[in-house]
Order: sequence, then structure tokens, then C-alpha cells
Amino acid sequence: MADDFRARAVLKPKGRLYEDFEVGQKFVHHWGRTIHEGDTTLFSSLTLAFNALYFNRDFAKAHGHPDIVVNPHLLFNVVLGLSVEDCSEIGGPFLGVYDLVYDRPVYPGITVTAKTETLEKRLSSSDPKNGIVTWRTEGFDTDGKRIVGFRRSNIVRLRNPREAA
Amino acid sequence: MTKLSELSGTDNYFEDFEVGAVMKHARGKTITPLENVLITNMVMNTAQGHFNVHAMESSPWGHILSYGGVNFSMVLGLSAQDCIENALEELGLDNIKLSKPVTHGDTLYAYSEVLSKTDAGQADAGIVIFRHYGVNQRDELVAQVERKALIKRRSHWGDK
Repeated sequence: MADDFRARAVLKPKGRLYEDFEVGQKFVHHWGRTIHEGDTTLFSSLTLAFNALYFNRDFAKAHGHPDIVVNPHLLFNVVLGLSVEDCSEIGGPFLGVYDLVYDRPVYPGITVTAKTETLEKRLSSSDPKNGIVTWRTEGFDTDGKRIVGFRRSNIVRLRNPREAA
Repeated sequence: MTKLSELSGTDNYFEDFEVGAVMKHARGKTITPLENVLITNMVMNTAQGHFNVHAMESSPWGHILSYGGVNFSMVLGLSAQDCIENALEELGLDNIKLSKPVTHGDTLYAYSEVLSKTDAGQADAGIVIFRHYGVNQRDELVAQVERKALIKRRSHWGDK
């Protein structure tokens, strides 16, 4: 039976909805990621991030760095990316990021992990299908030292939409 | 080695920025799978709305949405040469707002406003806060982001 595997398959769902969040809950996100020289050079080139610290090793060393500097916006995107499955994979659009701090320059070869705490959840006043959730997410190096931190908010769909008023 | 000051611009030192000035950056860039899908996957963002065309055909949008992190990273890039080419360090971001969806084939342009200039804890550079605006080919605002950077002073780093 060619279709048998489909009939027997059980969906392995991913992501969380509004009801799955509670203020104060903490996530240690999956995977982590080593950021390579090729990652940051490609990211900087594709986004036209023209500061030579990000792609000229001699220039970076002449400014006292041991290597090219990892584009901090790549670092931020990796930390946010690692948080997506736990926080925002299926809920809805990304609204904004606030109070983002880059603690120090980092260099190729760094391994980054990410953690998040849920700060706030509220129902949308205009849309009975959605709420808004805000988290605080931080990225860490191998020694557990923080390298980036920020708050972000997303629209998150309700599993059980409220009755429209 | 080539002199450092010859490798970057001469009109974008700390002294050159005036609070309230607004710049229109010369280059735009079209968002293609190279920007959106490559960067979304490279940064481990698992939301398939950014990389599954088939699933998005039956969504309310009907097509792929470019990841917001890619959209404002593009705005940070399009404005980089004029604003932070002479930065010693980018210190942080704030008030990032994503106001319109972006899809493959949309073109982004950037504008920047100088919000503030302050002395830093070192004599050779100062801190500038910019607000960057990203607009699409229809002139609609799609993203804005404030960036704080430590920028070289010409008095220390420029040609005498």
C-alpha cells in the first residue's frame, strides 16, 4: 500500500500558541550555534554592512581586535533565531525589539546559546483571535557570559479564540 | 599596509553628524531568496512562513513573508556606509518596529535621522544615535530601528 505511511503518520507539531505562555516561564533554547567567519562575512556582504571591521582582518587587527569582528546584527539574529521554535514559530507576526544591548565585540568561532523569559502576555483589544506576548531573550558565550540581550514582542494566535463581542 | 584613514570615508566622522539631519541613502536592495531564505536559515529561524512557498500559498498572505530580522538588518546595512563606516563599535539597537510585510521581489531603501550625539568615555570617539527608516518600492514605511554606535573622531583618526 503506497499510501500506508501517510495513513499511519502522526504529526509532530512545532511551536506554541497564546495559552502556552505564562509570565515568568523560562526557556533554555535548543541547539546553540557556532558562528563561523564565513557566516559573518556573508551576512555583512549580503546586507551591505560596510564597516571594514566586519570583513577586513588587517583593518580589524589595526584597531586592536584579534580577528575580524562578528557583525553584531548577525549575533542578534542567531540568538533570536534559536528562540523561534519555543516562542514564535507558529503564533504570528513579529512586532518589535527594544533595549537591545551588545555587551562586547565577539569573534569568529564563538559558540552562542540562548535563553528567554516570558515578561508579559495580553489579549488584543481589537482582535479576538490574537494576543501579544513579550519576552526577554539573552545570548551567552561558552563561559556563560552574556553577549547580547533584548526584549521582543510578537502577535500570538489563541488556540481557542474568544467569542467576538 | 595601506593607511587606515584611506580605507574608509572622510565625511562620516563623529564631527560630521548634526542632530536633526536626515540622510537619504543612495542604494536600494531587492529582497530575494538569497537575502531572506539564506539568512533566515543561517540564523536558525525555524518559522517556515519564511521558507515554505507551498504552505504560504494557502495563508492569508498567499506568499512567502521575508523575515523581519532580515528586513531591518537590510535597513541597517543600506544605511551603514553613511552612518557607521567609521564606527569603532556598534553598541545597541532600540525601538525596532516592523510595520508592513515584505516579500520576495520587494525593494528596500533607507533613510537615517541623527537623534543625538554625546561624548564617550574615550577621547578619540563619540556616541551617535541614529533612527533608520526602511521604505519599499511603493514608498511605504516597512521598518524602523534606532542604532547607537561609537564613532571615530576625525581629530584622532582622520588625516591631519
